[in-house]
Amino acid sequence: MTRRRFVFCSLFIAVGLTTAAPRGMAQSDAVAFINQLGVQAIQVLGPNVAMPQRVQRFHQLFGSDFDLPGIAQFTLGRYWRIATPQQQQDYLGLLQDYLAQAYAGRLAQYAGEKFAATGAQQQGDITVVSSEITRNDGSKIGVQWHLINKGGWKITDAYVAGVSMAITQRDEFASVIQQGGGQVQYLLDRIRQKVRS
Amino acid sequence: MYRRQLKLALPGFVLAASLAVTGLIGARPAAAQQPPAPVPAAQAPDEGTNDPYENTNRAIFDFNQGVDHAVLVPVANAYRTVLPPVARNMIHDFLQNLNSPIIFANDVLQAQPNLAAETFGRALINTTVGFGGLFDAATAFGIPYHTNDLGITMATWGIAPGPYLMLPVLGPSNPRDLAGDIGDSFGDPSNIVASNHHLIWASFARGLTSGIDERSRNIESLNEIERTSLDFYATIRSLARQRRAAQIRHQKEDVPNAAPFQGASALPAPVPAPRVATLPTPPAPPITYSVAPQPNSVGDLQKSSMGR
Repeated sequence: MTRRRFVFCSLFIAVGLTTAAPRGMAQSDAVAFINQLGVQAIQVLGPNVAMPQRVQRFHQLFGSDFDLPGIAQFTLGRYWRIATPQQQQDYLGLLQDYLAQAYAGRLAQYAGEKFAATGAQQQGDITVVSSEITRNDGSKIGVQWHLINKGGWKITDAYVAGVSMAITQRDEFASVIQQGGGQVQYLLDRIRQKVRS
Repeated sequence: MYRRQLKLALPGFVLAASLAVTGLIGARPAAAQQPPAPVPAAQAPDEGTNDPYENTNRAIFDFNQGVDHAVLVPVANAYRTVLPPVARNMIHDFLQNLNSPIIFANDVLQAQPNLAAETFGRALINTTVGFGGLFDAATAFGIPYHTNDLGITMATWGIAPGPYLMLPVLGPSNPRDLAGDIGDSFGDPSNIVASNHHLIWASFARGLTSGIDERSRNIESLNEIERTSLDFYATIRSLARQRRAAQIRHQKEDVPNAAPFQGASALPAPVPAPRVATLPTPPAPPITYSVAPQPNSVGDLQKSSMGR
């Protein structure tokens, strides 16, 4: 076979493999993705990482492994539609800052605990990866990760013991906006204040 | 669990437990593994806080926060300092075992023979092999703990929770769950025994210890959530609701370990039917409506229909 044909064939096969990969393969891939994320998070939460670096690393993780635009739109709820394009843009950046800071703190207590992704299920467009944190006292917490494939896995939500982090965030932000008389800008100012404090 | 502890003698420190129950960490995993059923984003009402008494609730919440910071956290910290983990685990397991009769009764009321059998087996094993409940041997034997109470039972019967209530000291609740707590406390055998022997203080001590136990397990998590929240009250409200909804779902489904989830047969599947995710964009897939809450349990439904 000519070299050209060989290249063509290889390409064809490669494309075939990636597009027609059986679902099970994609799911084990998603499990690996979450395990990988767990490894990174545990590293970042280790005793040798100071808080500012921790926040910075979480910031990167939220940028690379999470579907921030989708999360932004979801957590702003109905206020997304009344926000100006500029506010939407600002919110996207502030949300990433805020989440990095909040979760660097909230997850600190999981340092040194065992994390393992156990399996995946398909739910329409969403791949749900189940994982378990084994606490030092032996108790276990189930975490379900919701992933979409956007040319790479992106996390859209995490359910910790049945509680959605995205819904919790949306509920809180909605309450803040209401306190601000329905103004999205009020929320943005409050988040800005928080991440700079 | 603390819910059992709203005893004849109302223990002051159960605030801890109530707060703790909303903490991510104090979560009993067995009790809350199922995310809610998927709901199409289009029909999601955005606000569904069901909190008509918000101003009053917030005032009570502030008061509770004061008590928490001034009394509970210091006591919980001392508890952790004084007692080694082994002793604290024994106390925890003992209190948990003491709740078995009420959990069992509610498993039965909900017509969940498998869960009832689990609870019965757990109590039997832990009371004997576990030295009167000091050790949770049943979990080691593969029978996991699950919680249950009359509020959950009423929810499975289709009774709506009513408005969100922040109870002084006791924390987040609603009329249904409060009524359930009171009912449970009257039905609890160890309370009945205690009150028949004029040992109300024993019930009180039990509630108190439960509160301290719960709070001591959640110091860091609640601390961090408070520190990083913009609106701690709203965050707790959301967490408490979702957590309660997850417990109710768990009891409705009776799937502690094996998830009869469509399409999942090939998987080990410790996790049943998770809810479909955060994206507003993808249309919600037509799955698992078996999990959908009863139409008349407004508050629970609200939670799961709020979103997607």
